[in-house]
Amino acid sequence: MNARSLCAAIAGAVLLAALPAQAGPDRVELPADYQTAYTLYIKVDRPDRKIVRFMYVNPEALAAARPGEPLPDGTTLVMEDHKARLGPDGEALRDNAGRFLAEEMVTAIFVQQTRQGWGEAYPPETRNGDWDYARYEPGATLALKADQKYVGCFSCHQRRAARDYNFTFSVFVKDAKR
Amino acid sequence: MPSLRAIAPLTVAAVLASTTAPAAAVEHVVTMLGMDYAPATLVANAGDVIRFINDDSEDHVVFVPTNGFATDLGTVKPGEARTMPVLKTGTFEVECVIHPSMLMTVTVTP
Repeated sequence: MNARSLCAAIAGAVLLAALPAQAGPDRVELPADYQTAYTLYIKVDRPDRKIVRFMYVNPEALAAARPGEPLPDGTTLVMEDHKARLGPDGEALRDNAGRFLAEEMVTAIFVQQTRQGWGEAYPPETRNGDWDYARYEPGATLALKADQKYVGCFSCHQRRAARDYNFTFSVFVKDAKR
Repeated sequence: MPSLRAIAPLTVAAVLASTTAPAAAVEHVVTMLGMDYAPATLVANAGDVIRFINDDSEDHVVFVPTNGFATDLGTVKPGEARTMPVLKTGTFEVECVIHPSMLMTVTVTP
């Protein structure tokens, strides 16, 4: 290989290294200890499916988020599904405040994460800012769920573009930090 | 034998207890029509129930994002209804997952 070929090869390698990571769930990171390292900021009852959704946020985002502003780079929102505890009549049991009681077992884990520049991997009509999504299988070691489709995540969260593509955390910040 | 002076307060208390029974739970109807919730504000008592009726021609998803009250009633198709008991006092917002402009506020009093 001559000097010109070598230079071209090096330039190509540098260019490849500068490209953004492949879009999709592989780049959405979730620490195995998120249940203790992150903050459980809200629980959402879902009567039609008899589940309770536990919502977590990473501590850096919780500290830096400001009402009415886009969420900080690196914000990680986790939605953890639990079945509701059912009574003998098959209906969800409620506490004194009317909130569902949840089973301890986690049945699904969905993650929404934002990193600067991530949105460029998606066409403008589908991207949700710089957010990407992943679904993990519950277990001691978290693994991405195979064959998961994410088009539904993007289309649904697109409806909340005005508050940075999320349904609960921006409202939580608005109410908690005013 | 207790004196009349001792019995009187007990008698008054018994009468009061029998005449101040808790109010029956009320069902409040909220309609979804023209991409709006009607009424846009609602005051209910703890123990009441809110019935959301979709009188519109499109699906709606009743969603409460307020901490302590957060609820997702799922897709409500035209003609369908969903109920939500309100057992906790406070104020919460109601949205539609599909239509961000659909908003209402509910205040629950003791």
